[in-house]
Formats: sequence, C-alpha cells, structure tokens
Amino acid sequence: MRKTSYLKMLPLLAGAAMLASVPGAFAEGKQYTIGVSNTVQGNGWREEMVCAIKAQALASGEVAKLNIAHRNTDAAGQLEDLRNLISAKVDAIVVNPADPAGIKAALEEANKAGIVVVAVDQAVTEPTAYIISNNQEQYAYLGAKWLFQQMGGKGGVVYMRGAAGASADSDRDKGFKKALAEFPDVKVVHEVFTGWQQDQAKQQILDFIATGSPFEGIWTSGIDNVIVDALVESGSKMVPVVGADNAGFVSQLNSVEGLVGAAVTNPGSIGGAGVTLALQILDGKKPAEQTVLVEPELWENATPEGKEKLKSVVDPSLSAEWPVSISIPDWTTYSKEQIIACKGPGE
Amino acid sequence: MSRLLRRNGWVAGLLALFAVLLVLTKIIQPGYGAGDFGSLARAGLPFAFAVAAQAVVVIAGGIDLSVASMMALTSVTAASMMNGASEEYALFVVPFVLAMGFVLGAVNGILIVVTRVPDIVVTLAMLFVLQGAALLVLDAPGGAAAEWLKASITGTLPFPFLPDAVTAWLPNALVLLVVCLCVVWIPLKRSRLGLSLYAIGSSELAAFRSGVPVARTRIIAYGLAGLFGAMGGLSLTMSTGIGAPIPGPYLMASVAAVVLGGVVLGGGRGGLLGPIIAVFVLRLVRTDLTLMAIDPNVTSIIEGAIMVAVVMFGAFIAIRGRPA
Amino acid sequence: MPALAGRHPRLQSGTIEDGAPLTEELILDASGVAKSYGAVAALRNASLAVRPGEVHALMGANGAGKSTLVKILTGAIHADKGDILIRGKRRDVRSPADARRAGLVPVYQDASLIPDLDIVSNLRLTATPVEPFANWVKELGVPDLDLSEMARDIPLAVLRVLDLARALAVEPDVLLLDEMTAALPANLAERVLDVVRRQSRAGRSVIFISHRFVEISALCDRATVLRDGQTVGVVDMEPGAEERIVELMLGAKIEKQRGFARRQASQADAGTRLSVRNLRVGTKLADVSFELKNGEVAGVVALEGQGQDELFAALSGSLRPSTGTIEADGVPVKFSHPADAIRAGIAYIPGDRTEALLMHRSVRENIALPFSARFRNWGPIGMQKERTIVGRAIERLQIDTRAQGEVQRLSGGNQQKVTIARWIAADARTVLCFDPTRGIDVGTKREIYRLLRELAGQGKSVLFYTSELEEVQLVCDRAIVIFGGKVVDVLPAEIADEAALTRAAYGLPRNATADVGILADLPATNGAAS
Repeated sequence: MRKTSYLKMLPLLAGAAMLASVPGAFAEGKQYTIGVSNTVQGNGWREEMVCAIKAQALASGEVAKLNIAHRNTDAAGQLEDLRNLISAKVDAIVVNPADPAGIKAALEEANKAGIVVVAVDQAVTEPTAYIISNNQEQYAYLGAKWLFQQMGGKGGVVYMRGAAGASADSDRDKGFKKALAEFPDVKVVHEVFTGWQQDQAKQQILDFIATGSPFEGIWTSGIDNVIVDALVESGSKMVPVVGADNAGFVSQLNSVEGLVGAAVTNPGSIGGAGVTLALQILDGKKPAEQTVLVEPELWENATPEGKEKLKSVVDPSLSAEWPVSISIPDWTTYSKEQIIACKGPGE
Repeated sequence: MSRLLRRNGWVAGLLALFAVLLVLTKIIQPGYGAGDFGSLARAGLPFAFAVAAQAVVVIAGGIDLSVASMMALTSVTAASMMNGASEEYALFVVPFVLAMGFVLGAVNGILIVVTRVPDIVVTLAMLFVLQGAALLVLDAPGGAAAEWLKASITGTLPFPFLPDAVTAWLPNALVLLVVCLCVVWIPLKRSRLGLSLYAIGSSELAAFRSGVPVARTRIIAYGLAGLFGAMGGLSLTMSTGIGAPIPGPYLMASVAAVVLGGVVLGGGRGGLLGPIIAVFVLRLVRTDLTLMAIDPNVTSIIEGAIMVAVVMFGAFIAIRGRPA
Repeated sequence: MPALAGRHPRLQSGTIEDGAPLTEELILDASGVAKSYGAVAALRNASLAVRPGEVHALMGANGAGKSTLVKILTGAIHADKGDILIRGKRRDVRSPADARRAGLVPVYQDASLIPDLDIVSNLRLTATPVEPFANWVKELGVPDLDLSEMARDIPLAVLRVLDLARALAVEPDVLLLDEMTAALPANLAERVLDVVRRQSRAGRSVIFISHRFVEISALCDRATVLRDGQTVGVVDMEPGAEERIVELMLGAKIEKQRGFARRQASQADAGTRLSVRNLRVGTKLADVSFELKNGEVAGVVALEGQGQDELFAALSGSLRPSTGTIEADGVPVKFSHPADAIRAGIAYIPGDRTEALLMHRSVRENIALPFSARFRNWGPIGMQKERTIVGRAIERLQIDTRAQGEVQRLSGGNQQKVTIARWIAADARTVLCFDPTRGIDVGTKREIYRLLRELAGQGKSVLFYTSELEEVQLVCDRAIVIFGGKVVDVLPAEIADEAALTRAAYGLPRNATADVGILADLPATNGAAS
C-alpha cells in the first residue's frame, strides 16, 4: 500500500534532500500547510479523526501539505509536538488536546507566530484558539437519560467509563451524573474505567457478570460492541445498552436478537470539520463564535422510527471501531471513498 | 586531551551526533533558530529528569519501573497544592514535593532490600500504587502552577560577559536542568556515596567485601531516583501549568535514553552526561521527523532503529578499540 | 617407584605387572588430553585408561586437573587435543547427552536434580527409566521416597543418593563418581561403596574420585595420579600404595626454592593480633581455634571444602559464626558486616579477583573504595588526600597503570596487586589472603610473596590460605592444617614440606617424631585424623 513512500523517507538525508525539492511542487490553488497534533494512537475513533483530516484537506484543494504529529503521549509531549509544528512554520494547526489547560503555553506561542489554531473534539483554555467540538456532556446526558427511561426509572446500572483523568471522560461524567440526578431510583452498581480499550472492557464486564450481581442496564463510553458480545457469549440476560455510533455496535443494534440499545453520535469526522474551519479562517472568514459545538444525536432501536434510522446508517464497509457518522453536514465535503482511503494531499 | 576523549568516547560521540543533527535540522528548516532550540530544551526537560532518575538506579545495578508514575504523582501533588494558592506558597511546595519524591523512592529501595523481592517486581508494583495515588490526588488533569515557576523555564537569562547571540542559545530550561543535576550529582560523584553507588552496581559482592553498606546505598539510590523523578514531575507542572494523573511516556523513554547514553544495563558503568545528551538527541530526531512531515506511524520505527544502530555502533567501536 | 607415564601415557605400570596382555580391550582410554583457558593450561597431557569391571581412582592435588578431565570425559567441555576411545573406538564426546549414549554417566559433586521439578519430571528430563531408578533408591537405603516430591524439598544427602540411583538406572558401562561420599552420613556412604563393589562384580567400571584414602584403599583396583595437568602415574592399590600416590601427587622436586626470611626470633614473642576460639560457622567449619601473632604469616592448608572458606568469611565479617569468639588485640569483636572487620583493621583478599574488584571501574576508584569505607561519614572524599594515598600505593606495588581506566584491562597479576594495594592504602593490620596466587605468573607470584613478608616485617599479620603447598615453606612461619572442619595439625615451617602437609591434609597421622611444641597451645583442637 503505502510502503513505497515510506521507504524513500527512511534515510534521513534522503528525506531532507527530497524535502528540499518540495517547494517547487506547489500547485496552483494549493497554498496552505496544516499541522495536526493528536495524542492517542491506535484507537478507532482517533484514527477516523485523522483520516477525516486527511480527506478534508485533500477535498478542499487548498492544502499543499499536512504535517501530522500523531502518537501516544501526554500534555508535555503535545507541547513538544506543537512547538515542532511552530518550528516547521505551518499556517494552521488542528489539535485534539491532551488537556485543555496543559497546552496553553504552546498555543499562545502559535498565536504569536501568526498560526491559526483550531481545537477539535475537546475545548482548550487558550482564548485565541478556535474550538469545534462534540458536546461531550450532552453526549453522556442524552444516552444516560434514554437508558434510565428504558429501565423504567429504577434498578442498577453498570457505568463503564473511559480513561481515568481524560477530560472527555470527566465531561461525560458530568452529563451522566446530571441524568442520574433526574432518576433517584437508579443506582450505579458497578463503575469501572475501560481506558477505552476493547479487550480490557470485555474482561471487566465478564468479571462483573461472573459475580452474579443483578443489573438492569449498561452505559458505555463508546466501548460498546464487545459488551454486547460478552452478554451474548455468557448467555446473560439482555439488558439495554448505550454506546456510541461505532459501526460494529450499530450493526448489532440492527441484528442481535433481544438487544435494546441506543447509539449516541460522536463523529470522529470532527477532525475534517476542524480543517474546514481552519481554512475558512485562513481565507478571512472568521466564525461569529470562538466555539462551535456539534450536538449529538441518539439513534435507538426501541421504536419503529428509531429502527428505520439505524437501518439507514448501518455501514458494513467500515471497521467495527469506526463511528458510522463519517461526515458532518455543512462541515465536511469529502466522499466516503476518500475518508476510507485515508490519504492526504501529496500521498 | 586524547586520553580525555578516549575515556569519554561515548559522550563525545553523542555530542557529535547531536551536532550533526542540529546541522541537519538547519538544512531541513533554514529558519530553525535559538527560539526553536529553547522549545527543544523545554521539551527535553521532563525526559532529562526521568532519565537521570533511571540512570542513578541503573548505575547502582537496579531498574526503576515507577519513574513515570512518580512524575505523575509529584506533578499532580504540586499542581493541586498550588491551585488557588499564592505565589509565595510555591516556595514551600517545591521542597515539599522534592522531599516526597525522595521518600517514596527510598520506599522502593527499602522494599527491595527488606523483602528481597526483585527490583523489577517491587518497582512494577510501585508503578500501580503511585498511579492510583496520583488519581486520588487529582482524578482529572487540573490544578495550577505559580507564575514564577512557569516563567523559570521560558526565555533566556542575560548572562554577564556573554554576548546576546550566545545567551540566546542558553534557554532557561537548559540552565535549570544543568543547575538541578549538578547540585545533586557533582557532590555525589565526589563522595563516598557516589563511589558506593558505582561499586554495588559493578559487583555487589566485591562492594560488600570492601565494606560498602550495600543495603543502605541501594535505598539511597532509589531515593535519589525519586528525587529526580520529583524534579521531572515539577518540570511537567511547570511546562503545562497543570498536573496530569495519567503517567506520560517517560518510563520507556528513560530506559531508552539510559542505554543510548552509555549506561550499561546491569550496572557499574556510565554517567549522567551521556544519558542527558541522549535525551536531546532523541528529542531532536523527533523534531526533524516532524519538520520533514514523515508519516507519524513511521517515526517511532525510525526512533527505535536509530537507538539500536547507535548502541550497536558503540559496542562495535568498543570491541575494536580494546587492546589485544 | 611406579613407571612414570607422563611422557608416554600408553605405558601403564599396572598392565605390565599384572602380566595381562597389552591388547586387552579397555572400556575407556583417554590419552594426550589437553585443555587451556587463555594462557592458563588446565590440562597438558592427561591420560586415563579404565578396564572393564574395574574401580579406578582418579587422584591429584587441588588444581591438578581432575575436574577438567572429568568434564571433558563427560562432554561438559571440549578438549583442545587428545583422543578418547570408548571400547576401542574413537568417540567425539560433544555433550553430556553424547557421553550418556556412549555409556559414560557421571555423578557430580553437586546435586544435579532441577530443584523446581518433582522427581518424576527430573527422570523424564534425562529419559531415565522409573522402575530401575526406584529399585536402586531402595537398594541404596532410602525406602520410602515419594516420586512426586519437589527436588527442592529433599535433604541434600538423599539428593546425592537420587543422583546416584539415576545414574545406575541407565546401567552405565562407566560410572563416574566425584566425591560421592563426602556429603553422606556413614550408613548411606557404606551402602554406596557396596553398590560400587557390585557394579564391579557385574563387569561394569567405576571411576572414583575421593579425598578419603581409606575408601580408596578399600575399594579401588588402581589409581591414576594427575599433577599439573599431566598423568604422572598409574598405581595398583596394594598395601603401601598411599605413600606412592602422595609422592606422585607432589612430584620430585628438581629445585628447592629458597624461602623468604622468616620471623626473627626477637619477634617470636610479639603480641597476639587475632585469637580465634572454638569457632563454628555454617555446616562445614566445626570447631577451630588458633592464634595469629603480630608480624606473623600463618598458612592455612586444607583440601577443598574443609571449612576454610567459612573460616575466612567469618574473620572478614561476611558470615556470622554460630558459636565461638574472635578477639582482635585481646578485645572480643563481633562482625556483622565487612565494614566492621575493615574498621578493626582486617582485610580480606579473595582468590577470585572478580569477587574483590570493580572490574569496570578505574584503579583509583578500586583503591579508594575500602580506604573510604574506614570512615563512618558519608561526606566528600578529600580529593587531594585520596590522590596522594592512591598514588603511593600504586608506586609501592609497581602496578602498571597504562590501562588504569578499567581494572578489567589489567593483567591478572596486576589485578591481584591492586587487590592488595587497596588494603595497604586502607592501612589494614591483618590481611586474610585466600589463595592469592592462583592463576598468576611466576614473577608476580614472587612479588606477592615478597610483599606479604614485607607486611609481616612491619609487624602486620597475615593469614594465608594456599592450595599450592610449596608456598607454605616459601612464605609462612607455620601452617595450620584443617580437615573436616577442625584443626588437625599445626606445623612449623621447617617441617611443613609438601609431603608432610599433604599427609596432614588428608587426615593421615604425622610421624611420631614431629615437633608438637606448638600443638601444645591448642588443647581443644589438636589430634589425629577424624
């Protein structure tokens, strides 16, 4: 696949020589270099986000080169990546922050260097940065409220969170607690951090089922299809499950016998929207608000209308961990083929 | 001079490699300047302290898997203590956190000495304990850092008698690193304790027979690792302005830089300078890979390949250079 | 005088005397075997011929090459030169498994069952049939063995028996027993000897290595004697053979080296530096008492494993004695750490230099390490003072410091000089030397002898264990002989020649005419062989 282009770059000197020839390759209309910083690697949602960034950059026709820093690291590591992108003199940076406040210093430096900063997925505290994000608190509130209604407003719920300490997790916790407060008879019988890891989450739910404790519903922070697998495999009683709009889970909602559940959208394509916003600002079209929130939708299979919606969005061509909401109306212009190909400009 | 070069061949080689990488960086990005070098120094700071912590225990013949968790715990402790507190309060927080690091590190050492459980097991257990403790202090990234602390690693200090063109290349982060390491390491190296550290790493039996208190020395080695870990944790809080309870990628990075820096896993050989330079070599490699916009999934392969190549090359030179 | 077979190993005295034909088929015939480790030759020209149905002793002083030859025969290491014929056919024994296939099965000195496996798994590992094994175990006097027990949980004596049973179970043509009876109680040892006799009656051969002359006389048909890596003779075991074996082990002295100037008469009544009373350490050192005077070099002579390691470990603070007292300058001392001994002015120089030196560190650091251990404080070492003291020590010993960056790059002799120099720098008053000249060249050896005498001349005292018996008369004022964990004899240097020492070390009684003046000092411990 992409092997040939890697090989050319392996020797550092050869890479440098190649880069020296890049400026001449600038085509008409493609003028911007966009830097990307992401700190979680090997997670389906984040991979879709990066692919959406690449696809949107390609589809826009305005981006000459993407400079992607994409690895597993913390806020301090992201500071380093951001500063490297500043050294690389990119025109704009699309960043999924490891921490809202922790990377403020580098974002401030980027602003001073005249670089447009767009934070996607999560907010940042730096006031000069633009933010386009999924509303995480609302994500949790919407799903939890629907779940508690399905449970008849009472009983025990298993609360399978994301990674301890991650800001998206603490935002979702706020939404979950808000819904919980509205249903005083619903009790959390088991709370656990999945670390957003599929295998870990499956083990955790199997361990809990093995204890024999009763539960009437499961809320997951997006690690969902393996939970349904575990319920089916262990022959346990089917309870309502809430997850994200990951392709695997959505297809389970359509096909698994006796499964009642809901998928709350959390589009990874927000990355593509970030590119669009950055290009608009570079072209002088600043948005009215510094922060743009993308509101989640809830797709459930408890009503006929809900079932129809789920049938229309199911997409077996996507990998099970990818959200099915691969585009965001008004914000992304790439085709489905482009995001699946996952190729940026010049690749 | 030639003798100095021969005895510090590894360090000299790393310095040369670093210089080559700087030149390469300048070729890739002609605009690379003093400010960018300052960024590099700041990025290297937590790694440098992590590697100093690891180097001390590896020299003493051990290993510390709890380095990254120690940094996370000390970082969140500092950040939550300084949250909403006055600027002066930080004057108390810094020594408190450093002492905490030393004590927790010494606990590692005491457990190893007393229980006789292998170091790798004790420090692995400590990794989880400290990580849990960090989440108890702060369950999500947060807290704050005093402004003067944050300022202390940005910009440059005007040094007397040095032209601006030179001081521009001496970022505060680098100066702070050098001062912190020297304050601990130089007196240590000159004392009986420093000699004992190398002795127990080189041969525990020979050290024991030479009258070195092996257990006490080992405990202090881990204590010093905790101290350097706490410095690393503080540097994280200083650069991000917050504390993050989930440990960053400092454990593997510290082992990598220790090896690259010429400290032999198993103990007894190496110093602190090599690993610190190795940290900056690895950081600069990452900068170059980012500047070149190389596919992010390939960069870690390249980083690993460089490490293996350098260590192999070093071993090759060492074998060739050995007198027959 | 038996025929010397060193030059021509095929000439076997036994064969001729028995009148048996030279062409008689030998079950094992090794000849011209040589093995070197670097510059050190462990074996030069060793041979060993074993007939079917024979019990054959392999004899030699410490370091004569017995264990090297055994390892080569059993495939643990590979010879540089030499032929090994098994039943007349040349065999290249490349591994222990190879040796077993050829019918040669060893039982080593150390238990060889894997501690964390049960007995059955251990048997399966070596493809040993279980039933004959169980029968042999019963025969050897262990009636109720549980095969599912972990080797770790079985007492040492029984483990040795199991090792033997495992070897017997595969019906070996040649059984090799290395110090088999040393760790056994008398009743088990008797059973073992019995089994060996039965093997021989069944036409199988046994190679028997032991320090106990009594067993060898009673059991063996012939003995092959090694000295300095060469086979120097093959002796038929008949009355009086012990004396001939001792002679062969020592060899004819072509040139008597002259000893160094000994203690002056005027110093003879110098004060007592160390006084050891009824010392018992671990399981090997049973009960030892002696005194070490100021300005004296006292030799310690013992076969391997008689408790000398424990004695030196206890005196240097590495091991705590279970009973007994140590007095330094008349004051009782208790060492819980080598640092305590060092502070009492006692230095330990082990035979294995890697146990004393930091091989990766510099000469300077190695010399400074124990020197700084004398101070209780953790403070900085005075750099100037340190440099002076280190410099003086290097100069005094004429250590070649061209490669002073790392001690491991020095020659063996220079390394040993560093181990001694560091204690001179540390101003030790008593030096415990454990075989310090092992594996170093003659020139350096002589320098070390001179140095030890020089230390004694300054009033320091030296306790000197050596496996090279001629060193006793070269360096020591007297020799303390230990056997079975007890002092069995104390010989003044004048009569401590190699023959006398060897006899004493094997627990044989001394000639009645010997001077017993010094023994009178040791009422509790003197006595005949145990």
